[in-house]
This record gives sequence, C-alpha cells and structure tokens, in this order.
Amino acid sequence: MPVDEKNKVILKLENICQSFIVNDEVKQVVDDVSMEVRDNEFLVVLGPGHCGKTVLMNIIAGLAKPRSGKVYLDGEELHGSDERIGMVFQSLNLMPWRTVMANVEFGLELSGMKKAERREIAQKYIDLVGLTGFENSYPHQLSGGMKQRVGIARAYTNSPQIMLMDEPFGQLDAQTRYSMQEEVLRIWQSEKRTIIFVTNNIEEAVYLADRIVLLSNCPAHVKQVYDLSCLPRPRNFTDPEFLRIRQDISDNTDLAL
Amino acid sequence: MTKVSKENLSAMEIREARMRVAYKILPVVSVVLLVLLWLFAANSGGTFPSPVEVWDRTVQLFEHPVKNRNLIIHVLASLKRVGIALAFDWTFGIAFGVMIGWFPKLRAFFSPLFDAFRAIPPLAWIPLITLWNGAGELSKIIIVIFGSLQSVVINVKAGLSTVDRMYLDVGTVFNASPAQRLFKIAIPSSLDAIFAGVRTSTSAAWMAVLAAEMLGAGDSGVGLLISRGMDSMDMPLVLTGMIAIGIVGALLAIVTQFAERLICPWTRKTR
Repeated sequence: MPVDEKNKVILKLENICQSFIVNDEVKQVVDDVSMEVRDNEFLVVLGPGHCGKTVLMNIIAGLAKPRSGKVYLDGEELHGSDERIGMVFQSLNLMPWRTVMANVEFGLELSGMKKAERREIAQKYIDLVGLTGFENSYPHQLSGGMKQRVGIARAYTNSPQIMLMDEPFGQLDAQTRYSMQEEVLRIWQSEKRTIIFVTNNIEEAVYLADRIVLLSNCPAHVKQVYDLSCLPRPRNFTDPEFLRIRQDISDNTDLAL
Repeated sequence: MTKVSKENLSAMEIREARMRVAYKILPVVSVVLLVLLWLFAANSGGTFPSPVEVWDRTVQLFEHPVKNRNLIIHVLASLKRVGIALAFDWTFGIAFGVMIGWFPKLRAFFSPLFDAFRAIPPLAWIPLITLWNGAGELSKIIIVIFGSLQSVVINVKAGLSTVDRMYLDVGTVFNASPAQRLFKIAIPSSLDAIFAGVRTSTSAAWMAVLAAEMLGAGDSGVGLLISRGMDSMDMPLVLTGMIAIGIVGALLAIVTQFAERLICPWTRKTR
C-alpha cells in the first residue's frame, strides 16, 4: 500500500500539442507530449534550448491553452490556472514596487487572507529560503540568487501541490547556480511537494531528479524517461554512476540549434 | 576605514574628483553669466530694465500692491487656480486614463475624440469658455484644466496599456480576479507613468494659468501682473512677474519629484 501511495500519479498530460502562427506559417512547438507526474517526486523536464519546454509549463500553469490535448490534476481535467499549481518563473517576475515580504505574500493577499495571518506564513517561507532580514528590501536591492529565492518563497507560500520551476537558475552564475540547486533540494526535502523542474542543463537534471523526461528538439516530444530514484542522495557530480547516466543522456540528446 | 590620501588615487579618480567639483560649480557659473548678460543688455541703452530696477520694483510691489495684492498674494492666487485644476486632473484624468488604458474597447471608442480634442491648444478654447462662463474665476480654472488634463490622460493611458505581461502572468497563476489584476498589478506597475502625468500636468497647469490670467479680465494672479506691466510699459514689473513664474515653476517641479520619491521608493535606483 505505501508503495502504491508513493507512485500515485498526481498530474497527467495527455497528447498535448501546441502550435503558433509565426509569419503566416503554423509552427508546431509541442508535438503530442504525454507524461505522468507522481506525487512528491522531483521530476526534471530536460530539453535543448527553445524546444518548447516553457510552452509546456505555461500550459500546465494555465497561462496558455494547448491546441489539443488535456491536463489532468488528481484525475480531473484542468481548465486554466489552478491554485494547486504554483510557479517559479524563468524571468523572476518579481514586482519591483513590492518589498520582499509583499512579493512573497502576494498570492495569500489575493486569496483574501488577513494581514497578520499571511505575514506569519510568508515569514516562514522567507526564513526557509534564507532571506531572513531582507523582508523590507525591494527586489532591485537583491542579487540574482536572492531574487530567485524570493520567487521560490512566493510560490511556496500558497502551498501548491505541484511546483513548476521553469529554468529558474538559467540567468545565475555557475557558483550561485550550484548553491541554489542545493537550496531547492533542501527545501524540497523539508517541504515535500511535487516539483516539475525545467532545465537545459544535463548535470543539473541528473543532480536534482527522481525522474528525467528528456524532450527532443522543437517541436518537443518525449524522447525518453529516465528513472534515477536508484541514485542515492546527496549526489556527487564526480560519482562514476552519476557520470555514466550523464553520458547516457548526453548521447541521447538532440543538439540545440 | 582608512582615509584615502591623495597619493593613493589613480589618475582617473583624481579626474573624477575634479569633475565632481566642476558639476557643483558649473550651475553657479551659468547663473552668474546670465546676470552679467542682463547687466550688459540693460546698460547698452534701450528699454530693458536693469536687475536693480527690477529689484526696486519688486520691493515697491510690496509697498504699493497692485489691486491691493502684493506679489505673494498674486502668486498664491495663481497657485490656487492651478491647485483646483490639478485636483480635477488627478481625479478625473487619472480615472479616465486608467479606463482607456486598461480596457481596449473603451480605448478604441474614446481615442479618436481624445486625439482630436488634445490637438486643439488650450488658448483656442478661451473665446468659447468665456462665452459660456463669462470672464470669471471658473473660466480661468477651465482653461487651466484644458491645458493640463491631456498630459495626465496620455501618460496614465500609456502606462496602463503597456503593463508587462510577466506581472499579469503572476496574477494568473495566483488566480487573481479581474479587479485584482487592475488594482494589485496594472495600476501599481504603472505608478511611474502616472507620476510622469502628475509631473507634466503640474508644469502644464502652471503655464496655462498665466495665459488665462493674461488674457481674461481679473484682479489677481501673476499673469495679471505681467499684462498690467505690458499695458503701462512697466518692464520692471513684467520681469518681476517672469522671475516669480520661474521660481515657482521650479519649486513645483521639485515638490512633485520629492513626492514621487516618497510614494514610489523603488524608483530611486534610477537616480
């Protein structure tokens, strides 16, 4: 029974297709993607640059409607955005007119929660991401890594079941990126949630993932799914097994154009 | 922290320090040059009054007020008209700008009318406004409104019609209601544009009030001082009025800038 509970499918994509009209031509960007996401797993969606990963995330988040295909959450079909799905944006999307605290509590404020109550919850997540003391700073006063922490705290504050992270560390320098990867794992382990993490970085994927869904070049379709749950954590970038899986995926990856 | 001695500075740092001094001195130099030029122009004959004459005339204005009002009271009379007009601009104008900026259908409906009206300079309205409301206080205020309302509307409309998609996406993910999208995202993200409207409307209103006072009948205002000086060939009085206009206009600009920094502290980084 616990085994079944662990592998319970929480989110399901069924035959998702998406296309846009560019210069009077129909451009297919997502081609028949189906996948299942399990409860509390760390799923990494790996694919080359501009292959349609963000488009896929926007469909799950309800920011865009697919041309065809369906998204199911807990067995019921999703139409548009849902409070059970949170998102950490690629371009941060922090509101420059709000302090760190006001950014983090934004979702709770919209839901109509009383100030004292939402402050308390927001503070908990500000502490969790290590931004204690910066509650009254404005985003422009923070470094790139700290801004990304605000984005993560903001998404967590609404307690979504599923957290979408769309290349959250793409704009960070390598050093900050490593420490943020560890942060995300630490947060994930202390607040178990389902995470769907998008990246184009193979090492990052192997370091973080329970499972990796490898996408092809544009139009994106699922090339292969790797199960990494056998690889113990914390993982080591120079571990032979780590390197083997990395090589395996690398051989199977389309080159970004 | 140890004190930096001069020997430790690089050539570039020394140059920068010199530039900083220059930035402080240059504005003073320009004012001094202006006064010198003025003295020169006044001394070369003609009817141009010298600084001393203008100063004497200003003092005299306090001893023998025009229409029983000294300079300060004339300035306050003009400011009162500007204040009433701006109160209207900033309520109705901002509300209207938000509406046509945020709702594309309203924009499509109102844009041609608005564009046609704003192409007409406020001075062109003076005959009609005087015909409808006489030459009294109300007409002056309406002229000021006609001269300043459009700068509020244009700026607010520009801000609200170009709200960054990424902020609205955050609202979508958090299931924001239509009202929340407008009041929690669109309007705050446009505050800098709204303030640009506040700034430009303030200076536009200050310009328009002088035109209204110079052309219409009345017994107060800085514009009246200037037209009075013109009628009686009293050039020192005209210059006194002009200098008062310059000083008050500059003060208004400083006050609105200060208010913006106070209300929008996150915009400070750009300065």
